[in-house]
Amino acid sequence: MVRALRIHLQGIKTAVATRMAYRGDFFISILIMLAMDFVIPLATVFIYQTGVTLPGWSMYEILLLQGVFLLVRGVAFPFFFGMVWNTIERVENGTFDLLLIKPCSTLRMVIVTGFDSEDLGKLLGGILLTSIALSQLPPPSMLQWVQFGILFIMALITMFGYGMILAGLGIVWIGNFRVYDIFFALTNFAMYPSAIFSKAIQTLILTIVPIAILGSIPASVLLDRVDWRVSLLATGSSLVFLLVSFWFWNWILKKYTSAGG
Amino acid sequence: MLIAVENLTKTYKTYERGSTFRETLASLLVRKTKYVEALKGISFNIGKGELVGFLGPNGAGKSTTLKILTGILHPSAGTANIMGYTPWKHRKKYVAKIGAVFGQKSQLLWDIPPIDAFYLNKAIYGIPERQFHQTLDEMVELLNVSELIRKPTRQLSLGERMKCEFIMAMLHRPEIVFLDEPTIGLDVVAKDKIREFILEMNRNGVTFILTTHDLGDVEHLARRIILINHGELVFDDSLEALRRFSGAKKIITLTTHEPLPDIELPGITVTKKTSDYNVELELDLAVLELNQFINIISQTSLISDLLVQEPEIETVIKDLYQQEKRSKDE
Repeated sequence: MVRALRIHLQGIKTAVATRMAYRGDFFISILIMLAMDFVIPLATVFIYQTGVTLPGWSMYEILLLQGVFLLVRGVAFPFFFGMVWNTIERVENGTFDLLLIKPCSTLRMVIVTGFDSEDLGKLLGGILLTSIALSQLPPPSMLQWVQFGILFIMALITMFGYGMILAGLGIVWIGNFRVYDIFFALTNFAMYPSAIFSKAIQTLILTIVPIAILGSIPASVLLDRVDWRVSLLATGSSLVFLLVSFWFWNWILKKYTSAGG
Repeated sequence: MLIAVENLTKTYKTYERGSTFRETLASLLVRKTKYVEALKGISFNIGKGELVGFLGPNGAGKSTTLKILTGILHPSAGTANIMGYTPWKHRKKYVAKIGAVFGQKSQLLWDIPPIDAFYLNKAIYGIPERQFHQTLDEMVELLNVSELIRKPTRQLSLGERMKCEFIMAMLHRPEIVFLDEPTIGLDVVAKDKIREFILEMNRNGVTFILTTHDLGDVEHLARRIILINHGELVFDDSLEALRRFSGAKKIITLTTHEPLPDIELPGITVTKKTSDYNVELELDLAVLELNQFINIISQTSLISDLLVQEPEIETVIKDLYQQEKRSKDE
């Protein structure tokens, strides 16, 4: 465990040092990342200002959903979701082999070497947006914060699962960054209350393709707008999803054929 | 034996696609599957401290073998026992004891100094602080790179980078090191330094398996040659034995005082005629003895200079490939 932590810390230090080689670019990238992730929340503000609303949901409640979603991505993207682009890129240019000759699990190696400091902008944005929204809403109780904490971890677990599936696809679907587009399109569902969708979509994004857990479910707990059974189901789905993703990653890793020598 | 490989086989599944636009479109719906036998059951053993040249033309199966032996790929069949491990089954434990240098794939990080990449390796391999600094100091001195390891990698020359690649691969003190074209693109001075380093490490007991197309590397480093072609092992013996393989052939450079007549004798193949007075030829001693050859030439021309050399290793290997191809065709 200590060794694993050391490897991760060294990976982060190395990645930050790499990005610091071009300091101007580093700060501009963080700002751009922050601005890009504020597009949808800004659109929400503009829409609400025109008087159009999502029935039963105030502007700050929606912003809280979007803030939590950004917060989840803000933790996932820099710290482990880089495994996706790292795998796709390395398989395409043939350097994935270099990870396989290291005495660590391949998954750890793609995460360690895929730390993405630019995405810390998402984390900043998430903290900012969540704080703004919460400052305008009734303060959650301690129990709500505990529930939120558990569901937030489940959201990260789910993101980890998605990371493994997308990275795995990158091994057989060589050089195809479209997996990102598919993922972003799907996860947009997490930025809105599940209740606005049809029953079928609600069930789908709560269980088989767990997306609601990435934003709307944990945020709804803070707003006291979610049934405990739904939270429990979302938690179970996340854990099953993680197991399936692990299996998928290990199965696909055996299919790796390496680039020609 | 440190390395024991038995009947290693690897079959790849690939898809054939035509080159025309119509064929490209058709391949979206139906693809023709093709199975390529990259390795057809090769077997060999390597002892501790050996320095083996693993050679073969492009597409012979060298890289596939190397990837299987480094735990990167799973074979289709066969066994490999290296230091008691099966590379593809005990990958994590096994790779902690091996090193690899790929001439065309860098383990360094482009924008930061090599020392930062060394520290990342230190964490990955769990190298104790004292051992890390001791090995690093030793390598840095041997390769004379004390200043360079603190410069961003992108500012280093290819030769300097390759020296740092070697440090990266040796920091955890591997017992076996796989080298894939380690001197590719290097100038003569850098090549010499790298070769010296490999020999020094080999003297310290490290086993090296060298894959290269640079026969200078082979002649300077390898004491044993394993040659593969079309996924099959075609030669496994010493460098001297490989030279002898070409039979009793000699390369003769001949200069005479009088113009030389056309030499058309059994056992003689003229390879280069620089002028009427100077010629380079290949003499097969099994057909014609050297003194007989000199006698024949002396009857027509007065010899002013005669240089007798062993055939170049490149020629020997080329002969070997051609002989193998002929025997296959028959």
